[in-house]
Amino acid sequence: MEPYQLIGTWVAAGLTLCLFSFLYKDNPFFRFAEALFAGVSLGYYIGITLSQTIKPNLILPLAQGVTWDNAHLLFAGLVGINLYTRYIPKIAWFARLSLAIYVGYFVGINMVQKLQGEVLPQSADAMVNLLPPAAGGGIDWFPGSFNALLSFVGVVSVLVYFFFSVEHKGIVRPVSRLGIWFLMLGFGAAFGYTVMGRVSLLIGRFNFLVIEWIGGTMRAFGGGS
Amino acid sequence: MSDSTMKTVRPGNTPSGKTWLERFEKIDRRWIFLLVGLGTLIPILFPIGFPVSVTPPVKSIYEKIETLGPGDVVLFSYDYGPTTAAENAPMIDAVLRHCLQRRIKVIALALYPLGGFTETARSLSVVMAEYPDRVYGVDYVNLGYKDGAQAAMRQMAEDMHAVFPTDSRGTALSEIPLMQQVRSLRDVDLVVTVATGIIGEWWANLINAQFGIPIALGCTAVSAPKYYAYLDAGQIIGLMGGLKGASEYERLLIDGYPLAATIYEDPLLQSAMKGMDVQTVDHVIIIGFILLGNVAFFMSRRRAPRR
Amino acid sequence: MFLKLRLPLALTFLAGLIPIVAFFFTEKATWIRTPNSWLEQDMVIIAGFALLLGVVNVIQGNVRKIEQRSSGWIYAATLLTGLFVTGFFGIFGAMNFGPFQGIALRPDGTPTPFAWVSLYVFTPLQATMFSLLAFYVASAAFRAFRARNTEATILLIAAVIVMMGRIPIGESIFGVFGRPFGNERWLPDLTEWIMQIPNGAAQRGIIIGAALGAASLSLRVILGIERSYLGLERSE
Repeated sequence: MEPYQLIGTWVAAGLTLCLFSFLYKDNPFFRFAEALFAGVSLGYYIGITLSQTIKPNLILPLAQGVTWDNAHLLFAGLVGINLYTRYIPKIAWFARLSLAIYVGYFVGINMVQKLQGEVLPQSADAMVNLLPPAAGGGIDWFPGSFNALLSFVGVVSVLVYFFFSVEHKGIVRPVSRLGIWFLMLGFGAAFGYTVMGRVSLLIGRFNFLVIEWIGGTMRAFGGGS
Repeated sequence: MSDSTMKTVRPGNTPSGKTWLERFEKIDRRWIFLLVGLGTLIPILFPIGFPVSVTPPVKSIYEKIETLGPGDVVLFSYDYGPTTAAENAPMIDAVLRHCLQRRIKVIALALYPLGGFTETARSLSVVMAEYPDRVYGVDYVNLGYKDGAQAAMRQMAEDMHAVFPTDSRGTALSEIPLMQQVRSLRDVDLVVTVATGIIGEWWANLINAQFGIPIALGCTAVSAPKYYAYLDAGQIIGLMGGLKGASEYERLLIDGYPLAATIYEDPLLQSAMKGMDVQTVDHVIIIGFILLGNVAFFMSRRRAPRR
Repeated sequence: MFLKLRLPLALTFLAGLIPIVAFFFTEKATWIRTPNSWLEQDMVIIAGFALLLGVVNVIQGNVRKIEQRSSGWIYAATLLTGLFVTGFFGIFGAMNFGPFQGIALRPDGTPTPFAWVSLYVFTPLQATMFSLLAFYVASAAFRAFRARNTEATILLIAAVIVMMGRIPIGESIFGVFGRPFGNERWLPDLTEWIMQIPNGAAQRGIIIGAALGAASLSLRVILGIERSYLGLERSE
């Protein structure tokens, strides 16, 4: 292990333990690490954006000369810089022009994306053959038809539940209730997966502390694996 | 008799007057934290080696890559950061190893701002060290990170060089041999995205929906339930959900490629399969807490004085 | 009035319309595809500038806290120190200034200052902050997860089945009950079925409903009906 790696691993372990100390109770070590977390994250944004987007996509192409092909980048630079006029009180309204272009473009993409990429394929997938053919002829009642019917009923009942323009009474009420049950099944599955996900993150940190920090330090000083 | 007198003569009461149920339900949560912590630490120190079985959504990705070979190109989009690296890093490393085993060319990039760039560099430095004969620029390339994911994706579908004029080190794409044969996403045989948030959805509902490019998706366990709808609709060809999904892919890789198996025998490698030992113990602990909590709840409901 | 209201709304309309119209035309329609392509490249750059907007806000807020010596000002100083040190490493790295050659690993494998901070400060802080949730999810599951009614019971049963079915021991233990029926994998199969059929149906319903809502909101923004993103009410 190189010295910069050993020092880095100890810094990382120290910060990890500072954050874990919150589990016992709030304390200055945790609050120090928390403040550092916020500051370093923002500093990371600065480095990444300048190095990976602003420099190669804006500065370098324009530095080689403004041509018909790259003149639109001047527009990008102006609009981007103009966003920051919101911090100058006298001309803060100027930033609205940049914000309008930024928001307008992304809602435009979003509209097509949602309709063509979600509503259409998901609706098509919901409208399945409720009497699918079996491999050897006839109808695949189970599990084919059963699953198709359950899936179709689930989608319709969930959509009915979310349709708040109509009062949930009469026939709408039991259908809506069925929708809630499907949602509860989905949320239960989601909770199970959420537990799995959170535990996985903890495994990662404990692996770091045991294998990289303690194990790595012992290996660095000849203590074996 | 008064209520307080009735309470003291009931069996099971502690000297403080509270039932064991009440004390149990109000247990200091730090005891729960300690138990979860021990449940995580002990299997790491003493691995158990539980077997891992494979599910169809993960197998679909494996089988798709098995149809690709030398000359084909797979694009890896690192759309996650350190917050979910424990789940996502093993799955993307496993798929990357699979591609390298089959001598598939690899283009790596990142669209996630909070750590995607760092994770791309980490993954390539770790995995490429296992394949020292691969040449940067010919067999693989790291394009780095780009802002504005949706806009970047749409433009990449037409002209990747306009979005990534240079690679992560600043070398012009025109000087990189691999990028001479890849001008846009349409020249790529498969996109593998491992995503922590909405970027995974955008690959499915923007790139696959508008351009028909096949997408293999790895996600965190928290997002996995949602992606089953995309999988069923054919918007993604396969799905790896959380650490379990990563462990399944590792299982497939080990069973299919002896060289990959030797890599996973390294005791210092933090594989997903080893993580499933810990996952098992922690799940049992948490399920135990849920069941005990409900038993206590039902028993205290029964004992509550009727009005 | 024109510059502060009408012009921004017109720009929103135009910027939103271009990608929508371009969607319906092939590459041969250069009259719309070329401006759309330029706009896409520009948006990548503008998104970069937008990402850094919050940095200015945070600096202003924390400087004020330090100046006024408010409670916890020392942590504000810590935040700004982390921000400026990492930020300067990033800026000098982007400029290839002196020893700060880039922001990634050097060709010999050693990290640049920015990369060192990314690997040994940024990464562990990010990862650990979210790993704390594992403890809280266990505590919350114990305290709050109660089968109080039908809906909560369905949620609880689904959660337990998924949690058991997704771990190896679940398959091993419950496989014993399935052995007489020739299916030891019944629990993982049941889990996969829950994920694909009932969960898939619920998620599909949510996706369709949410997508319709998002598409209608997008249309309202493009048409200038929804103006809150400009800090304006509908009547303004």
